[in-house]
Amino acid sequence: MLTLTTNAPRLVITSLAFATFLTLSASAWAGAGHGPAKGEPQNQGHMMGAQGGDSHGPAGHHGMEIGAPGKAADVTRTIDVAMHDNYYKPEQITVKAGETIRFKITNKGEFLHEFGLGTAVMHKAHQKEMMKMWEHGMIEADRINRDKMMMDHGDGRGMKHDDPNSILLEPGKSGEVIWKFSKPVDLEFACNIPGHYESGMMGPIKFK
Amino acid sequence: MITITRQHVVGAVMGLGLVAALGSGSAQAGEYNITIDPVTIDTGDFTRSGVGFNGASPGPVLRFKEGENVTINVTNNLSEDSSIHWHGLILPFQQDGVPNISYPGIKSGETFTYNFPIKQSGTYWFHSHSGFQEPDGAYGAIVIEPKEREPYRYDREYVVQLADAHPHSGNRIMRNLKMMADYYNRKQQTVFDFFKDSEKMGLGAALSDRMAWGDMRMMATDIEDLQGFTPLINGKGPDQNWTGLFKPGERVRLRFINSSAMTYFDIRIPGLKMTVVQADGNNVQPVSVDEFRIAVAETYDVIVRPAEDKAYTIFAESMGRTAYARGTLAPREGLTAEVPDLRKSPLLTMADMGMSHGMDHGAMAMGSATHKMPDGSSMSGAAHDAHSSTTHKMPDGSEMKGAGHAMPDGSQMQGAEHQGMAQGGRHQMSDDAMMKGMDHSAQGAMAQSGMDNSMHGGMAKGGMAKEADSFYASNSGLMPSAANGGKFLSYNDLKAQKPLYKQRPPTREIELRLTGNMERYIWSINGVKFKDAEPIRLKYGERVRFKFVNETMMTHPMHLHGMWSILDNGNGKWNPIKHVVSVSPGTTVYMETEVDAPGQWAFHCHLSYHADAGMFRKVVVEGGPKEQADASAVRHEGH
Amino acid sequence: MTLQKILAGLVAPAFVISVLPATPVQAEPLIWGVQAEQTEFRYGKDTDVFAWNFDALVGSDELKLVWRSEGEFATKNDNFERLENQLRAQVPISTFFDAVGGIRFSSPSTGNRFDGVIGLHGLAPQFFEVDADLFVGEYPSARLDVDYEVLLTNRLIATPTIELNLPFTDDTKYGKAAFGPSLEVGLRLSYDVVDRLLSPYIGIHYERSFGGTANIKRSEGEDAGAVFFLVGAKMIF
Repeated sequence: MLTLTTNAPRLVITSLAFATFLTLSASAWAGAGHGPAKGEPQNQGHMMGAQGGDSHGPAGHHGMEIGAPGKAADVTRTIDVAMHDNYYKPEQITVKAGETIRFKITNKGEFLHEFGLGTAVMHKAHQKEMMKMWEHGMIEADRINRDKMMMDHGDGRGMKHDDPNSILLEPGKSGEVIWKFSKPVDLEFACNIPGHYESGMMGPIKFK
Repeated sequence: MITITRQHVVGAVMGLGLVAALGSGSAQAGEYNITIDPVTIDTGDFTRSGVGFNGASPGPVLRFKEGENVTINVTNNLSEDSSIHWHGLILPFQQDGVPNISYPGIKSGETFTYNFPIKQSGTYWFHSHSGFQEPDGAYGAIVIEPKEREPYRYDREYVVQLADAHPHSGNRIMRNLKMMADYYNRKQQTVFDFFKDSEKMGLGAALSDRMAWGDMRMMATDIEDLQGFTPLINGKGPDQNWTGLFKPGERVRLRFINSSAMTYFDIRIPGLKMTVVQADGNNVQPVSVDEFRIAVAETYDVIVRPAEDKAYTIFAESMGRTAYARGTLAPREGLTAEVPDLRKSPLLTMADMGMSHGMDHGAMAMGSATHKMPDGSSMSGAAHDAHSSTTHKMPDGSEMKGAGHAMPDGSQMQGAEHQGMAQGGRHQMSDDAMMKGMDHSAQGAMAQSGMDNSMHGGMAKGGMAKEADSFYASNSGLMPSAANGGKFLSYNDLKAQKPLYKQRPPTREIELRLTGNMERYIWSINGVKFKDAEPIRLKYGERVRFKFVNETMMTHPMHLHGMWSILDNGNGKWNPIKHVVSVSPGTTVYMETEVDAPGQWAFHCHLSYHADAGMFRKVVVEGGPKEQADASAVRHEGH
Repeated sequence: MTLQKILAGLVAPAFVISVLPATPVQAEPLIWGVQAEQTEFRYGKDTDVFAWNFDALVGSDELKLVWRSEGEFATKNDNFERLENQLRAQVPISTFFDAVGGIRFSSPSTGNRFDGVIGLHGLAPQFFEVDADLFVGEYPSARLDVDYEVLLTNRLIATPTIELNLPFTDDTKYGKAAFGPSLEVGLRLSYDVVDRLLSPYIGIHYERSFGGTANIKRSEGEDAGAVFFLVGAKMIF
């Protein structure tokens, strides 16, 4: 698409200039899922790259700290999260360091919502991504436009929303995120659909 | 949880002493007392006598609860008739407070008791609807707490009520405007401007520009009829600096209300994104912007989250850039932030005059494909979805083409014209002839409309300095842009969070041409002043589509009392409901109204001096449940 | 402009009383005001002159009653060279023009006289303010008055004016000869001190007669033309 095409050269340069940086910040959104190279798909690396390029470093520092995708076998606790327009129930979540939690997410609203885990900085960076997806028609207020989501965006790669620390749900849909929290860090769960985080669709993850 | 939020809100309110200003009123009791009083207004620039409520201007912030039955005793302490109109509130017509339409008004020394149920929530306001008492200071804010949890969260809230206090009384202003329409225009082009333009564009071009305006006997600078005012925020002038406190990291809800008589404002808070969550009291899907324009009588609620421990300036420039309102958000009392300079005054263009086919463009750009179909029928919801999904997101010409063909009625489109449209898009709409060709083409306006919007999308992404906005004539001088180059809110961005009405085809269309004679300062609808006009008659239960065609050079905020205005901004089922619809010069704007309120109502331009000069209509809703019309007995407690 | 409208303008004053009080539902405020384009002292070679020119108006969009007063008092002989009071009714006939009908009472030192007035008042293309009047009576004449404002700044304004009077008959009492025009040209530089309420100015005024009228002037020992420097103030209230 036009914007991406225009941006592509800049991204390449950014990638080159901050090669080391990228390795760190690439893990910013995907978290441990990508950094330690546990076989995340290439396209995600690209997406993270764009994000890292925009948001600069700080997120990178948290890369290892926000935890990692958990294994179903390790789940010790399940937390139900309902997504309404435009807020969560519950509005805050408490976890223990080292705990693996299954978040059962249900979109009870009439709009598209996301449940994403990350630091405030990561969310901010992801909001830019989501805004691009919004502008490209990949996501709309109440649905995912899968055709566009799968579309070739001029760089030979797709652009998808399939990070392990996040789930994007259409109205009425359910899904889950299994996450292993490592050590206490300032984490938030948030919806990064344009305007939602800003109007308060986010909550803190507190460590006991 | 919800409780926490509420507590925060109440805390903030108490802290501000807003409730206290209500006298005996409290939300639970449902009974309120308001006096209409002569007051003194001090703007920091000048002091004058005016009209206020409960001894002050602005009046109190009335805090109601959705579902509450309110009783409001209004005592007129003026030496002339007065009234209070509850702007944006849905209520029985006898309670609407418009003299000679709702009721006779309130005589000097008398008390009128309003009594109505609160059926909505959000930010509204109230003002006198008698003479020029509103410009003279008789306005206040209404905040209605919703029954249900709101789709957003905030830690504290402030009403930010804008006004354009003028040293002259309303009567004197009207008289001066009638004697000399440009009496207050101090932004007229001078001979030195002419020399500058000659240098820039050449003597010939400058001369022909001036001759073109002179030939029409109109002025490119005619954006603000009324200059020389001091913009106020909550009654405070720029130097008096209204300040709202916050703790860093808090979400602050700002309830912007434009209670000006005549002035549109462009509002920004340098350093902060504003997330618009409500327009005209109704929740909209949140959209984060850097700046927005507020028409006279509109309200916008935004949420900001100042993270840093520093002051931020609320900066509201008048649309004509003749003055600004200024307030501060600060972590502590006494802190201030830099106050930006006023930007350069805009100039109207021939597009704003309805030349250059700007009007055609505006008309077809409404995205109101639905109801312009040749057979008069409406598109189905599904079709509309397809329309919005394909057209708004087109990144470039080629995409647009493909998308266009994918439209439900794609068969109606001709390839050649389609191509032409795409070309127009790439060339930044410079070719008006092409636009004209489109508009005059034979097939359904629907196809054009869709394409126009797609072009809009394409242009926006094509890196134009100013994002095209179909609510302005193409190449309009009034097209706003954010001071920081960021996002400027457009009417196109407004989407209802939870639509109040189901979409359905309108039963009929009523065309209202907004007309006027600037030189004589006569304003009218369809060329007829209120004084000489028959009422607009609507039938209870119908859905009327109003077509506003602005044939004047001014922007008119049209306000229908008693019933919602569903703005057709091409968002289909999410078209927002408003109580004020602003119509820019050289454009056509559509709104629809579900006629669900019996009785008689006012319908007018909310620029005080335009309304008074005749851009005003009485609307009579015929039929409907009798008991509803008479639901609330008019109690008139004279002394 | 149609004859009908002009006639309507002429008989309009009769309806003033019935038209002005609007019905309460649709009340429009009464339009009234005073606009003094010239109140000035002219310094000349032969004589100084105190002159004024104002309109006091009251009415509505549809009908205005205007009291127009113009006077020129020459200090040399303590006499009024011109003293006119007109009662004019104005009715809109187009977007920018009003038809005018009324009466003029002239009472300069040389004698009194009544005339009927019909005319046009309005704004011509390119913002020329125009008054074109035909004075009807025993000694008919025509007058064209054109003003233009040049904005040096939004408050410092240069106003060139031109007034042409054309008598159609010999009028010895007023010193005019048939088709002997007299011309007045002025240029005033004003500054709006208080809104448009008070705008003091300085300027130059030149008047000259031609043809038979000029001959009459000369026969009275005056020059056909004269230049004045002037100071004064514009006022609008």
